[in-house]
Amino acid sequence: MVNPVLLIIIPLGLAFIIPLFGFISKKIEKFIPVIALLSNLIISLRLLPQVLEEPIHVNIGGFSTPFCINLVAGPVGILFSMLIALAGLLISVYALDYIREGAKEKYHILYLLLITGATGVVLTGDIFNLFVFFEILCISSYSLVAYFGDRAGVESAIKYLIQGALGSSLILIGIGLLYGQFGTLNMADIASNIHSVQSIPVFIPLVLFITGFGVEAAIFPLNAWLPDAHSSAPSSISAILSGIAIEVGLYAVVRVIFTLFGASSILTFLLFLGVITLLIGELCAFSQENIKRMLAYSSIGQIGLIVFALSIASSYGITGGLFQIVSHTFGKALLFLAVGYMIYRTGSMNISSFKGMGKKMPYTSFAFTIGAFSLVGLPPFIGFPSKFMIVKAALLRHETLFTLLIILILLATIIEGAYFFKVVQVIYFKQGENKLSQKTETAPLSVLIPIFIFVGLIVVIGIYPKLITNILNSSASELLNRIDYIKNIIP
Amino acid sequence: MSFLHDYIYYIGALSLILIGLYIILVKKNLIKVIIGLSILDTGIYLLLISLGYIKEGTAPIFSKPGLKAENMVDPVPQALVLTAIVIGVAIMALALSLAVKLYKHYGTLNLRKIKEQRW
Repeated sequence: MVNPVLLIIIPLGLAFIIPLFGFISKKIEKFIPVIALLSNLIISLRLLPQVLEEPIHVNIGGFSTPFCINLVAGPVGILFSMLIALAGLLISVYALDYIREGAKEKYHILYLLLITGATGVVLTGDIFNLFVFFEILCISSYSLVAYFGDRAGVESAIKYLIQGALGSSLILIGIGLLYGQFGTLNMADIASNIHSVQSIPVFIPLVLFITGFGVEAAIFPLNAWLPDAHSSAPSSISAILSGIAIEVGLYAVVRVIFTLFGASSILTFLLFLGVITLLIGELCAFSQENIKRMLAYSSIGQIGLIVFALSIASSYGITGGLFQIVSHTFGKALLFLAVGYMIYRTGSMNISSFKGMGKKMPYTSFAFTIGAFSLVGLPPFIGFPSKFMIVKAALLRHETLFTLLIILILLATIIEGAYFFKVVQVIYFKQGENKLSQKTETAPLSVLIPIFIFVGLIVVIGIYPKLITNILNSSASELLNRIDYIKNIIP
Repeated sequence: MSFLHDYIYYIGALSLILIGLYIILVKKNLIKVIIGLSILDTGIYLLLISLGYIKEGTAPIFSKPGLKAENMVDPVPQALVLTAIVIGVAIMALALSLAVKLYKHYGTLNLRKIKEQRW
């Protein structure tokens, strides 16, 4: 049996070995993240069949369950760790060529630490460890946002840092209050003691957790940092922040609500919050001139949709929400990678500077179009089955409220379509000024390969969604069956 | 008076947390905001420590015969605080170094004047 601990140890260990490799040769440093993430992906894939039968839990240090620090590799954990490893691998291949200036060594160390934090958050079964891994994720993303050290990057990083640090302080207060009441930090142990969230001493930590993790998940009104941070970071980092970091924040929110507290009464509130987040994100994205800012606002919108889907709290709705997480990770990572290379060539983030790009960079433009269509939810791509599932799950509730909210969501999708088609139109149907030559420029192979693997994944899963519905279904049932989760860890 | 006597640590922790929050929300100078963050963190450490504190308790080590478990201070919150202090120091160092960079770019630390990135 492969031990799930390796998923955390390998990137963490290799992160700090990078400077040592630097003594041997400066050229191998950038390949270390690729190796680490490839091995993570292989380990996750090997764990998958076992996990689908029974969740694995590992007690670190050999103490028995409530007293030790434990890892729980259930279907949700492995689904997320696979997603992190896959997206991280492709983005690190992209970064081989993309990251050319600045402190490259530190970039790769911080990138691996970010992956470590994200993987740790989704695998841990201990509430304080969740906080520690979350902080590793956050601190490395603060510093990566400011990687270039330019005006915009530093300003966004400090904004992100202040809001993020405030959020994590709230989480720490919540952990303190829970420990004071229950005398344990094990998530399953706390969960077995919480029977209702109606009492104030339990409700306050719940609110603190949702607020604290909500900052990283960018749920409205805690999303002020996101457009700045995602638009001024290097494009490979924007891709990992949009594709992984906010999803991990969302995972923490969901895990806390469903498993730790079993707080189904707060879901109605989140339902409205999700729809408001969606509408605000899409409306702001519509009015942007800067392409990366537009994509960042679109991420806020997608997060809103995912929050809505997960708060439906039927098994179909949660499956749809998790499916949407997968589709958003692939779609948004692809868009940021493609856009990153276009910006690299044109030197401007303005949408109008992409005129005639369809002829100049045919492959990248094609990939951008696929990503945009997938996020809007057009049929042969992965965005279609996920959005379809969410709409169907909401309609299956047979309540007027859900029908009204679905109308709002479809309206937001139209707005989303409008601004993505606007960009596609600029790329293909507007003539560029002939100041530069119109000859085609092919991007290097290390850029094209990850982009086209993303395109392949989007198309293949879009045509044949059964490939992943199995793991999505068992993940949804893990989140819904709180009792099973507890019984699995505390016999 | 006995209320104050019993809960003085919690009152102190809560007031530190609120002072920190106030500074973060109101102050315009970035350095002051970072100090506010630090005060907020200190309040949380005090809260965590006081959760497990027993008056005149001992360390949870059975070094001498006759020591009873009831008189021992809970070690887990102290371990948590140690970890949290390390994380807090990392955030503080990063925040201060970003503040230095920000000052180099803008020539000011007034947060009302640094707003090139906006909605």
